[in-house]
Amino acid sequence: MSNRKRERLEVIHDILRIIMENHNSIKPTPLLRYSNLSSSSFSEYYNELLAKEFIKEITDKKERKYITLTDKGFNYIEKYSLILGFIDEFEL
Amino acid sequence: MAFIRFFDPMSFGTEFLFTVIAVVFCFLIYFKTKESYQLTKYKGIKYFRVAFLFFGLSYILRFLFSLVLLSKIAFDFILPRGMFAPLFILPLGYFSTIGIIYLIFSAVWKKFDNKGVHFLAHTVATLLSLISFFIRSHLILLYSQTALLILVTILSSIAKEKKRLSKTRVLYLLVSLLWLINLLIIGRKKPFSFEIVLFFEFVSLVVFIVIYHKISKWVK
Repeated sequence: MSNRKRERLEVIHDILRIIMENHNSIKPTPLLRYSNLSSSSFSEYYNELLAKEFIKEITDKKERKYITLTDKGFNYIEKYSLILGFIDEFEL
Repeated sequence: MAFIRFFDPMSFGTEFLFTVIAVVFCFLIYFKTKESYQLTKYKGIKYFRVAFLFFGLSYILRFLFSLVLLSKIAFDFILPRGMFAPLFILPLGYFSTIGIIYLIFSAVWKKFDNKGVHFLAHTVATLLSLISFFIRSHLILLYSQTALLILVTILSSIAKEKKRLSKTRVLYLLVSLLWLINLLIIGRKKPFSFEIVLFFEFVSLVVFIVIYHKISKWVK
């Protein structure tokens, strides 16, 4: 991972992967902890992922907030390694 | 020795076929990479696909411009050369210059990515197309794009961390160089024989097909 932008793609992938590996349902606090980011960076990524509709928030009957992946989020995880391969191959 | 060619259906046919295949592959590359860009918004992918979109448009305009250059001997009454040549050369100059700059830029954007560079790229493209428009010659465009290609190649070599010339960078250079050669061979006075023109067009298509094939390995 040689540049900042590349790291950004990787961080997004890591956040999405954490959600997926937690049965596609995780609260914001453990997600922040597992993602290994500062809270300000996490907020930035979190809002970006919500805006891009990679994740969505679900509130249960007890008013607890959970985060789940959307189809777009699953699609990103599925395509991630291929896109990285493409970026590497063409030195983009 | 320049080869002055009168309207030759064979030459016209191969030129048309070449343009169609080149444009199809440029647009295939553009659309094939659409999902990767939409998912990641990665700027390198953006510049890469925009370059091929502009090359596709440039090859369409190149064909239309070559028709206008042929019109003096073939169908001047349908396509008045004096009226249409400047009209085609303006977008041709702009699109192809942006195509060359963005293709090279896609590999070095991390070093230079700021609004000033984009402004400079569009200004250079506009200037080159305006110069060609007023002088009414695609050869002026060819000479200035050659100088530009040499300049951006030197700059990108300095900026690139990996100094070795990779296969991908060779492909990028080939796309740009072959564009310049394909620009040179339009018009009546051709610097090469029909066979050599055919050879360059064939090599151009091979380069586009290789790039498309390489993309297809990664982007399903």
